[in-house]
Amino acid sequence: MKDSDPDVELLARIGNNEPAAVNEMVTRKLPRLLALASRILGDADEAKDVAQESFLRIWRQAASWRSGEARFDTWLHRVALNLCHDRLRRRKERPLNEEEALELADSAPPLDEQLESADRNARMAAALAALPARQREAIVLQYYQELSNIDAAALMNISVEALESLLSRARRQLRSQLADTPGLARPGRGTS
Amino acid sequence: MTPERFAYLADAYGANLQRWPLAERGAAQALLDGGNVSAREVLDQAGWLDAQLDSHQLAFTDPALARQIRQSASRRTSFWSRYAAWLSPAGLVGVGIAGVVTGMLVASMSVPLPMVSAEVLPSVFDQGDAQVIFTVNAEESEQ
Repeated sequence: MKDSDPDVELLARIGNNEPAAVNEMVTRKLPRLLALASRILGDADEAKDVAQESFLRIWRQAASWRSGEARFDTWLHRVALNLCHDRLRRRKERPLNEEEALELADSAPPLDEQLESADRNARMAAALAALPARQREAIVLQYYQELSNIDAAALMNISVEALESLLSRARRQLRSQLADTPGLARPGRGTS
Repeated sequence: MTPERFAYLADAYGANLQRWPLAERGAAQALLDGGNVSAREVLDQAGWLDAQLDSHQLAFTDPALARQIRQSASRRTSFWSRYAAWLSPAGLVGVGIAGVVTGMLVASMSVPLPMVSAEVLPSVFDQGDAQVIFTVNAEESEQ
């Protein structure tokens, strides 16, 4: 059973040039697109460019969107992901360095009482940035963007089993990297 | 579900069973409900990493960006796309009319007129050039 696409009605309203629908789409998808692109690219400015370009595609597509093919959110992820890939290729797969990751995590200036969580945030950003690109993409799509395993695998053009393998390796690397961080004790099974 | 399968899935999807493949959730929950110790340990460990992942929050408050994007929606309608809805049927009608006109032209050039005989519509082609000249000269000399 295929559940209905919650974005289709909104797209039709955008196709009819309803300003309220445009506002709602921006409210609904902009944080999601920024989160995706920021975590994949590790660069807040580039993430904004990707978000803007993705929205231009939405506006162009809205009037002619046909439901029943791909879910709109999955299509939008594919658009944004392709734009991210283009940028990564242009950078020649330059991995995000730790300094950039910390800068990204620090985009919201922390208050004094939030120092600890800001610190954890920065460490997590750095650990995420240190992952190989495909592992990072798998974690971002499955965990942060909360896509189903089938959708995430389809977006990455891999099988669900291959996605699970990428996820396991990513989580293992993150665990070991974060466990080495002072003050981040983890529950463990023995020494692993 | 075996504890090994449980550990494999927790390794990939984390501690929240809602993020697991739908088909596996029931069996995984049954294993936990059955008091499987290793499954519980695996879940605790996965939960620790989930908490770390959740700590990575991106705060985006950029009203200028949202405004720019909203404005880009109103700019998207170019001249052609704005009138595309009626240009398309109008174009079809135009092509239809052009087809009919072309058809009529071709038919008129290739099919002989059926009702009109040579006597009704005499033509310069019915007589040679010399005949025409002599006829004109004869008319002039009679005057």
